[in-house]
Amino acid sequence: MTETEKQIKITGKEIPKIGVYVCHCGINIAGVIDVVKLKDYALSLPNVVLAREYKFMCSDNGQNLIKDDIEAGLINRVVVAACSPRMHESTFRITCKEAGLNQFLFEQANIREHATWVNMNDPEGAYDIAKDHLRMAVAKASKLQPLEVQRVSVEPSCLIIGAGIAGMNSALDLAKEGYKVYLVEKTPTIGGHMAQLDKTFPTMDCSACIITPRMVDVAREKNIELLTYSEVVDVAGYVGNFEVTIKKKPHYVDQKVCTACGACVESCPVSVGNEFELGMAPRKAIYIPFPQAVPGQYTIDMEHCIKCGICARPEVCEPDAIRYDDKPEFLKVKVGTIIVATGWDPYDPTPLKQYGYGRYPNVITAFQMERLLSSYGPMLGKPVRPSDLKAPHSIAFLQCVGSRNFREGGNKYCSRVCCMYATKQARQYKEKHPESDVYIFYIDIRAFGRGYEEFYESAAENYGIEYIRGRIAEVTEDKDHNIIIRAEDTLMQTPIELKVDMFVLSIGLEAVANAAEISSLLSIQRSADGFFMEAHPKLRPVDTLTDGIFIAGVAQGPKDIPDTVAQAKGAASSASALMAQGEVEIEPYYSVVLDHLCSGCRSCQSLCPFGAIDFDEFKKVAIVNPALCKGCGTCVSACPSGAMVQNHFANIQLNSIINVAVKQPAIENGGK
Amino acid sequence: MSENVDKYVKRKVYSGTNSRIANKFVDAGLEKIRACINCGTCSGSCPSGRRTAIRTRSIIRRALTGDESVLKDIDIWLCSTCYYCYERCPRDIPVTDMIIKLRNIAVEEGHILDSHFGLANNIFWVTGHGVPANGEANKKWQDLRVSYGLPPLPPTVHMHPEAVKECQDLMRSVGFRKLMDDIEEKKAKEKAEAEKEKNPEEKQK
Amino acid sequence: MSEKKNLRYGFFLGCVAPNRYPQIEVSIRAVFEHLGAELLDLEGASCCPAPGVFRAFHIPTWLVIAARNITLAEELGVDIVTGCNGCYGTLRDAWYELEHEPELKKMVNEHLAKIGRVYKGSIEPKHVVQVLYQDMGIDYLRGYIKHKFTDLKVGVHYGCHIVKPSDKRPWGGEYEDPRFLDEIVELTGAKSIDYKDKFMCCGAGGALRTAVKEVSADFSREKLENMRNAGCDIVIDCCPFCHLQLDLGQMEANNTYKDMIGEPYKIPVIYITQLLGLAFGIDPNRLGLVRNHNLTGVSPFIPIDSFLQKVKEQLT
Repeated sequence: MTETEKQIKITGKEIPKIGVYVCHCGINIAGVIDVVKLKDYALSLPNVVLAREYKFMCSDNGQNLIKDDIEAGLINRVVVAACSPRMHESTFRITCKEAGLNQFLFEQANIREHATWVNMNDPEGAYDIAKDHLRMAVAKASKLQPLEVQRVSVEPSCLIIGAGIAGMNSALDLAKEGYKVYLVEKTPTIGGHMAQLDKTFPTMDCSACIITPRMVDVAREKNIELLTYSEVVDVAGYVGNFEVTIKKKPHYVDQKVCTACGACVESCPVSVGNEFELGMAPRKAIYIPFPQAVPGQYTIDMEHCIKCGICARPEVCEPDAIRYDDKPEFLKVKVGTIIVATGWDPYDPTPLKQYGYGRYPNVITAFQMERLLSSYGPMLGKPVRPSDLKAPHSIAFLQCVGSRNFREGGNKYCSRVCCMYATKQARQYKEKHPESDVYIFYIDIRAFGRGYEEFYESAAENYGIEYIRGRIAEVTEDKDHNIIIRAEDTLMQTPIELKVDMFVLSIGLEAVANAAEISSLLSIQRSADGFFMEAHPKLRPVDTLTDGIFIAGVAQGPKDIPDTVAQAKGAASSASALMAQGEVEIEPYYSVVLDHLCSGCRSCQSLCPFGAIDFDEFKKVAIVNPALCKGCGTCVSACPSGAMVQNHFANIQLNSIINVAVKQPAIENGGK
Repeated sequence: MSENVDKYVKRKVYSGTNSRIANKFVDAGLEKIRACINCGTCSGSCPSGRRTAIRTRSIIRRALTGDESVLKDIDIWLCSTCYYCYERCPRDIPVTDMIIKLRNIAVEEGHILDSHFGLANNIFWVTGHGVPANGEANKKWQDLRVSYGLPPLPPTVHMHPEAVKECQDLMRSVGFRKLMDDIEEKKAKEKAEAEKEKNPEEKQK
Repeated sequence: MSEKKNLRYGFFLGCVAPNRYPQIEVSIRAVFEHLGAELLDLEGASCCPAPGVFRAFHIPTWLVIAARNITLAEELGVDIVTGCNGCYGTLRDAWYELEHEPELKKMVNEHLAKIGRVYKGSIEPKHVVQVLYQDMGIDYLRGYIKHKFTDLKVGVHYGCHIVKPSDKRPWGGEYEDPRFLDEIVELTGAKSIDYKDKFMCCGAGGALRTAVKEVSADFSREKLENMRNAGCDIVIDCCPFCHLQLDLGQMEANNTYKDMIGEPYKIPVIYITQLLGLAFGIDPNRLGLVRNHNLTGVSPFIPIDSFLQKVKEQLT
C-alpha cells in the first residue's frame, strides 16, 4: 500500500465531528433569511455536533468561537456558512491552524453571493438555496482529509524580460537588494521605447538625459547579467524554480572585441530602414541602434547583409571583431521569479484609410513626430514635412487613432498617454516655430496625472495651441500635398474644412506583436485587450495568476512613465518578498496517482495543460509533480482506470456533495 | 419697452431630458444610440452637412435628450443615406439606421413632407412602382422603351395587376395603409385649421 | 475566348432603369447574353421598395415588400441580379436582416402567408457588378474583350449602396477605397481617373432628391466639378438612380447653380455595361447608345455625342 492510500484509510477511520457556524454578515445574509432557523437546520444534518450563528464570523470574536470549540475538543471539522470562499477561506483556515486543527479540514458554504445576494427579494428561495449549500458543505466536510501544504525553496534570482524603463528599474531594485538578475532584451540595446522619446511630459525632461544614467547603472551593476539581442525560448518549472532557456542571437560582431569605433558603418554598402527612426532614416547592415546604446558594441543585421567582407578587412575593422560564422548561443538558467516587462508596439494606422497614412506623404504618426523633434533624430530636432522637407506652417494632431474604437479591428481601450504626448509635441513645435498654427482635434482631453491639467492649460493659454473638439472624419490632399481635413467642431456645431501642411496621428499603444507567444511560453493570461492580465484589477496589479511571475509597465496596459516606474518597483518588491522568504507554500490541491490502479496508458500526461505529469519508466506508472500541478482535474476525469485522485476534490468527496444536492429535495417538507 | 422684451428676453432654460424618443429606440433594439460620445465623426463625414444645416451628431443628440422638434425638422430628411457615418462611428453605432428609425417615428406621428406622402400614397400604393411608366402621362417613356426594342411596359407590377393587388394586400396587412390614412386625416385636419386661421370672417359666417 | 459559364439569374429591374433609363436595361441584357448568362424575368416584381423613401416611412412595409420580391426569385430557384445600387441595398439588407433575426423572418412570413407566399432565404441578391467581378471574374471578362479604348479618361462613380453598409456587402469590408469597378472599367482600355471625393454620394438617395431637389443638385454639381477639374471625358456608374442624378441632375445643376459653375457641364454619363459592351464588340444599338426616336424630354439629358465620337475613333 502506498503512502497515499494509507492516508485515505486512516482518516476514514476518524469519526467526523462537524461544527457549523452560520454568519449573519450584518444584514447581507440575516436581512434576507432566518439565520437561527438555518443554524437549527444544520444541527439536523449528519455528523454535525454543534451549530452557532454570529454577526460577523470573520471578526476576532467570530474566529474565537471556532478556536474555542476546537481547543475544547468538541469538533474536528469546521463548516462556515457565510460569504464566498474567495473572500475568507484563507482567514478561517488560519483560524483552524492556529487552534491546532489541520487547515484543510475546513469547508465554506457560500450563502451570501450564491443565495441571499442574488435572491434579495425572495427570502424563501434564498433560504432553500442556503440550505442546499449548507447541506453540501457538511457532506463534503464529512469526507475531508488533512493535507499538508507543500514547501518549495525559491532561487534568489530573477529573470526580467524586457529592458525598457520598467525592466531596468525592476532590475536595479532587485540587484541592489542582492538578488541576481538576468535582464533579457530582444533588441541590441536596452532603453526600450523611452530612448526614442525626445522630451517627457509634464516636466519636459529630455528623455535620453533621464534614461541614459539608468542604462549606465544597469550596465555597471554587478548583480545584473545583461543579455541583449536575446530571447527567452523556453520556460519550464514552477514558482521558485523556473528553468529558463535563453537564446543569445548572433551579433556577427565579437562583443568583447568591438571598440564601437564606427569605421565599419562608413564602409558598409547596404542601407535599410532604421527601425529606431521608424523608417525615416537609413541605417547600414552593420549598425548600432542609436549613439547612446548600451551595450555600445555593433551588430550585423544578417537578413540584409550581403557578406561583401568589406567591414571584415583589417584596414576597416582594426580590432578584427567581425565574425560571419557567429552562431546563436543557448543559455540555461534557474530563477526563482520572473518579471515580464515587454512594453508595447505602436498602433499601425494604415487600415484607417480615411486618414491617408501610407498614401499621403504628409501624414505621419506621433511616434514619427517624436523622432523628428528629437535632437539626435533624422532631422536633428528640426521637424520637417516629408513631401518637401520644409518646416510646416500648420500642423493638425488627431487624438484617439486606433484607440477608443469599438469597430472590428479597433482597440476599445483608451491609450492613456496620447492626450499628453500630443500636447507636449504641439508645445515643442510651437516653441520652435511660434508663428505656426498647431491644432489638436480631440474627443476628450485626458490630463489625469500630477501636473497634467496645468500643462494642458498652459499649452492653450501660453502657447496658443488650438484645441478643437471634433474627431476628424476624413482627409484628402491637394496637389501640393497639403492635407485637407474634414471634421465637425462639435462645440460650435459647424463643419470644418481645414487645410494644414502636416497631419499627425496620435496613435495608441498595443500589446507587443508576440504577446500570444509570451503568454503560452510562461503560461500567463492576457486580457481581452491583448495586454497581460493582472491577478486582480484593483488589489494585485503586478501579480499574474501564475505564482512567481509578475508583470510591470505597459505590458500590463497603457500607462505613462511615472506609473510604469511605480509598477516596476512594485513588481520588484513582490518578487523580492517571494525570494526573501527563501521558500514558498503551495496549496496541496494536486493529484495523486494510485499506483496499483495505474495502467501506464499516459493519457493523463498528454492531457496535462501544465506539464505536471511525468512517467516512471521503471514502475510504469504516472507521477505527478505536486509543485507544477494546479489541481485542474483534467487527469482525474481522463484516467480510464480511476487511478488519479485529486487532493481535496476526490471523487468520494465530490460524490458526497452531489448525492445530498440531488437526492434530497430542497423543499422543507420533502424530508431528508 | 415691450419691444425690447420680445427681442431680448428669451426664457429658454433647459429643464432636463425627456426620454420618450430614446425609449422608442431602446424598445426597438437600437439601444446602441446611448453609446454616443458626441465625437462628431458622423457630422464630419456627412456630405449633406457640408452644404445644408443637417448636423448628424446633433440629430442623434436631440433624439437622445428628447428634443421633440427633431421629429418635425426637415434636417432628418436632408440625409442621403450614404452610410459614411455608419461606417466610421468609433462607438460602432449604426448611425444611418438611427436616422431611418427617427424618420419612421416622425412619419408615425404625422410628420412627412407632402412630396413624400404623395409618392407613398398616390404612386407607390396605386402602381406598386416608385417611378412608374404606365398611363397616358408616361407614354413617352413607354415609347422610349419600344425604341430600344423592349416591350412598352416591363414585366413587373405594370404587366401584372394581380401583383399590384398582392402588394396592396401586404401593405394593408403590415399597417402601411392605415398609416397613410392616419396621415391623410391628420393633414386634412391641419389644412382645415390653417384655413380657419387665414379666414376668420368665414368662421363667423 | 473564355469557356462560357452556366449562370442563371432572376433579373430584378427596379423602377428607374426600366421606366426612365431603359438604355441601362438593354445594355445589361445584351452584355449578360453575350457572356453566356441567362436572365429570367421576375414577373410581378414591384418597387424593391426604394430604401431612401419607403424604408424611411415604415420599416416593416419595406421589409415585407422586399421579402415578396425575393420570393419571386426563390420560386425560380435562382439568385437575383440587379443593376441598381438602391435595389441592391434594399434586397441585400433585407436578406441579411432576415438571415440574422429569426423574429423578423417569422413576422414577415406571417404577412406573406396572407398572399400565399413563403420567404425561405434560399437565394442571394447580387449586383450586376458583383456578378461580373466575382461570379464571372476579371479573367473571364478579359477573354471577351475585342476592342480597347486608347484615350478615354473615365470618372468612375461607385455610388453608396453597392459598398455600404460594408458588413452586408461582399467586398471584405472595403468601403473607403474599393477598386473592383475601376478594374472592370480598365479592362476596356479606358483609364480610371482619380478625382477629388471620388466616393462621395451623388445626392439622389435617402429621400433627398424627393425632399429638396436643389440640395441633390448641389451634390451633383460638386461631383461634376471635381470630375471636370480632373479632366474626365465621361462618367461611368453602376446605378440607374446615380445615373439619373448625374445626367438629369447635371442639367438641373447647370440651371440651378448657373452663376456658380461658369461653363455648364457636358460630361456624358454612361452605365458600366454600356462601356463593357462596346469593348466586347457588341453593336452600340443593342447597348442603348444610339438614339432612334424623336421623343423630347427623355433620357439621356446630357448629350453623349462626344463619347460616341471617341468610340468611333478608338474602337474600330
